[in-house]
Amino acid sequence: MKTYCLVILTFFSIITSCKPTAEEVVVYNSVDQVFSEPVLKDFERETGVKVKAVYDTEETKSTGVMNRLIAEKDNAQCDVFWSGDPLRNNILISRGITAPYQSEETALIPAYFKDKENQWIGFSARARVLIYNKRLIQKDDLPKSLLDLIKPAYKGKFTIANPLFGTTTFQIASLFAILGDSRAREWMQDIKANGVIIATSNGDVKKRVMQGEIAFGLTDTDDAFEAEKESDDVAYIFLDQQNSGMGTLIMPNALSLIKNSPNSENGKKLIDYLLSKETEAKLAVSSAQMPLIRGTPLPTNVPSLDAIKPMKIDYNETSKVLEEIQPWLKQWAEQ
Amino acid sequence: MGRAINKYVIHNLLTLVLLLLLLVPVLMVLVQWLLNAGKINAISFLDRGALLLIVNSLLLSATVALLATLIGTACGFFLYKTHLKGRRLYLLLLIVPILISPYIFAVAWKDLLFLLFGSTASAFSTAGVIAVHTLIYFPLALLITGNALTNISSSLEEAGLMVTSFRKMIFKIVLPLIRPAFMSSFLLILVFSLGDFSVPAFFGIKTFTVEIFTQFSAFYNYDAAITKSLLLVGVCLILLLSEARYLSGAAFFSISTRGSNSKIYEMSGIGYVHHTSFAILIILSMLMPVFILLYQSLSGREIVIDSAWKLLKPAVFQSIKLAFWGALLISIIGLYAGYWQERLKSPFTNVLLLILFILPSTILGIAFIRFYNQPETGFIYSSLFIVLLGYIGKYGFIASRITGNGIRQIPVSLEEAAEVSGVRPVNKFIKILLPLLSPSLFVSFVLTFVLCLGELGTTIMVYPPGTELMPVKIFTISANAPQALTSSMALISLLITFFFIILFFMAGRVMFKKNSDE
Repeated sequence: MKTYCLVILTFFSIITSCKPTAEEVVVYNSVDQVFSEPVLKDFERETGVKVKAVYDTEETKSTGVMNRLIAEKDNAQCDVFWSGDPLRNNILISRGITAPYQSEETALIPAYFKDKENQWIGFSARARVLIYNKRLIQKDDLPKSLLDLIKPAYKGKFTIANPLFGTTTFQIASLFAILGDSRAREWMQDIKANGVIIATSNGDVKKRVMQGEIAFGLTDTDDAFEAEKESDDVAYIFLDQQNSGMGTLIMPNALSLIKNSPNSENGKKLIDYLLSKETEAKLAVSSAQMPLIRGTPLPTNVPSLDAIKPMKIDYNETSKVLEEIQPWLKQWAEQ
Repeated sequence: MGRAINKYVIHNLLTLVLLLLLLVPVLMVLVQWLLNAGKINAISFLDRGALLLIVNSLLLSATVALLATLIGTACGFFLYKTHLKGRRLYLLLLIVPILISPYIFAVAWKDLLFLLFGSTASAFSTAGVIAVHTLIYFPLALLITGNALTNISSSLEEAGLMVTSFRKMIFKIVLPLIRPAFMSSFLLILVFSLGDFSVPAFFGIKTFTVEIFTQFSAFYNYDAAITKSLLLVGVCLILLLSEARYLSGAAFFSISTRGSNSKIYEMSGIGYVHHTSFAILIILSMLMPVFILLYQSLSGREIVIDSAWKLLKPAVFQSIKLAFWGALLISIIGLYAGYWQERLKSPFTNVLLLILFILPSTILGIAFIRFYNQPETGFIYSSLFIVLLGYIGKYGFIASRITGNGIRQIPVSLEEAAEVSGVRPVNKFIKILLPLLSPSLFVSFVLTFVLCLGELGTTIMVYPPGTELMPVKIFTISANAPQALTSSMALISLLITFFFIILFFMAGRVMFKKNSDE
C-alpha cells in the first residue's frame, strides 16, 4: 500500500511542479532562443518576476506559438508575444488577440516602428542581407540589387528560403508592396527561371553558403553575423543601397500585449524592460540587431540603422499584401 | 440488473476516462469543423489536386513501407533465425536509426553527400525521401518480423524440410506464417512515413502531410488543415481497419517463451556475404549519420560539447522523468486495451488508441488546447499532465498491440485451469497473466520510453510555459546556433537515449534470466 501511495504522490508531484506563482509573466517567443533566453533571464534576475517562456522560432515556422495563441484566444494564457518581425503580430491583431499598450518606454520607439494603435511595438531590428561565400564569388561580382538576381550571370548560383515562411515572406511581401503586383510576380518568375534554389529556412541558406554549396543567398543580419563568426569564407552586403535603390528591408522585433492576459501588469513590465537601451545593446552584441532607440551603444561590427538605406514600406500594409499574395506564393514555391 | 450495470461501468472505467481525456477533445474539434463545414465549404479544400496529392503521398509511403519491410524481414531472418556471429551487436546497432529524429537524419545525410561528392542535388528528390525514410523505419520491420520469426514452431519448419528444399520451405511455410507480421510492419511504416512532414519538407517534396503543415503554419487556416487531416485520417483508418485481422494477429514486438522452440539455422560458408551486407547497412543507417554529427560537433572553431551539455542539462532530467511516467502510464493503458481486445473481444479502447495514433500531431495539439484551456480544466492545461496525455495519444496504440500480442501467446487454458481451481479473477490476473506478460510489458515500456523521450510534434504545441524538454530545446536552439552546437546537442540526445536502451537491455537480461532460472 505504501508503495502505491508513493507512486501516486510522486506522479502528482510532477503535475504540481507547474503551479502558477504570484509574480510571473508568460511570454511566447518566436525569436531564436539562443538570443532571447539570456535577456529574459536578466529580466527575471533584475525584477524578481519569474519568466515562463514558450520558445519557438521563425526558422521552424513559428507553428507552435502562433497556433497556440490563436487556439488560446478565448482563454489567454500568454501575457506577451515577442516576435522576430511585425507580420505575425499583425496576424494576431486581425484575429483580435492583442491589446494596445502605451508607456514612457514605448514613446522612445520611433513611430515608424510601431503599430498606429500600439498593438505592437518594435525594437532592435534586423535587416535582409545578401550572404556570400568569398571562395565562390568576389564582392565586386555580386548583385547590387534584388532586381539583379534575374541576370544570367547569377543563374543557379543563389538561394532563398521558402517564401511561405519566416522573414523571406516578409521580404517578398515588401517587394510586392514596392514594385506592385505584376512587376513583383514577373520578378519572382524570372528568378525561378534563373535557377533560384529554395532552401528550407534562412538557417539552411546560411549553411549552404557557408559550406560552399552555393555562392550566395538572401538571409537576415543575425544569420549573416553568426556565419561570419563561424567561417572566414563568409561575408555579407546590404542590397539596393544606391541613391536610386529601393533600400533594404528593416525588420524590427515586435512586442504585443495579449488581450485579457492573466498577468498583464507583469507583461507590461516585461515590455518596458525590453524597450530599453540596455536590452537593445545586449541584442546588438549577441545577434547584431540594430537598436531603434537613439544613443544605444553599438559594437563596431554592427551597422547603425542610420548607415543603411531602408526600404520604405508600411508594415501593416505589407502584412495585408502578404495575405493577398500568399496563395500565389504557395503555387510559385510548389511549381 | 443494477449490479450488472455497475460491474460494466467499473470494468469500462479506464475506457471512459480515456474517452473523456483523449477522444472527446478530438471529437469537439470535429464537431466544430462540422458546424463550420457549411460556411467554409469544406469540399472546396478537397479538390482534384488534394486527392492527387494524397495518392502520390500514399505511393511514396507505400514504397518506403515495402522497402523497409523487405530489408527488415531479411535482417530479421539472419538475426533471429541463424547463428550468425555478432548478431546481438548487429541488432543493437541496427535499431539506432529509430532513435534519431527523421529531420536530423535527413540533414546529416545531405551534409554527408556534400562532404563526399560536393553536391546534394540527388538528395532533393522523391528518391531522397524514400531512402531516408527507409533507413529510419526498417528497424521497426526488423523487430516486428524478427519476433514473428522466432514464434514459428520448429516442428513446422522441420516437417517442411523433410519433404522439400530449404528455399521452398521458406516460401511455402515461413513467409505465409509471418504474413501478418509483414502486413503489420508494412502498415505501421506506411502510417509513420505518411505522417512525417519533416523529411519531405526538408527535401522540397510536396506530400499531403507537408500540405497540412503548410495550411497550419503559413496560412493559420484551421479549416483547410482539419479538412485535409480528416481525409488523411480516413485513408489511414480504411487501410488499417481493412487489415485489422493482420494487425491483431501479428507478433508485433512481442517476446515469447515460445521463441525458444524456434528453429535456428546454421550459417553455411558464405557468412562473409552476410557480414558485409550488415556492415553496409550499419554504415548507411547508423555510422554515417553519427559520423557526420560527430564531425560537425568537432569541426567548429571551438569544442562546444560542454556548452551543449550545459544548455541541455536542465531539460534532460525533466525529459527523462516525464518519459518514465509517460511510458509507465502508456504500458498500463496498453495492458488494459490489449486485455480487452484479446481476452474480452472488446476492441473499443484499441480503436480509440488507433484513431489517436494516426491523427497528425498538430491536430492533437490543437484539440488539447481547445479542450483543456478552460477555467475548469486549466489545472491540466498548465501542468505537465497535458504532455503525458499527448504521449498516451501518440503511443498508446503501440503499447496496446505489443501487450495484446503478448496476451495472445499465453494459452487461455492456464487461466481456465485457475478459474476451475477457484482462483479469484484478480489473483488470476496478478499471479498468472502478469508474470507471463512481463517480457511484453517490459518491451512496451522501453519502446514507449524511447519514443516519449524524443516526441516533439504534440509536445511543442502543449508544453507548459517555463518547462524545458529535450526535443523542444534542441529544436528551438538549433535555429540559429552554430552547426557545431546543434550537432553536439543532437549527439548528446542520441547518446542519452542509447544509454537508456543499453541500461534497459541489461536490466531485461537480468530480469528475464532470473525468471527463466526460477
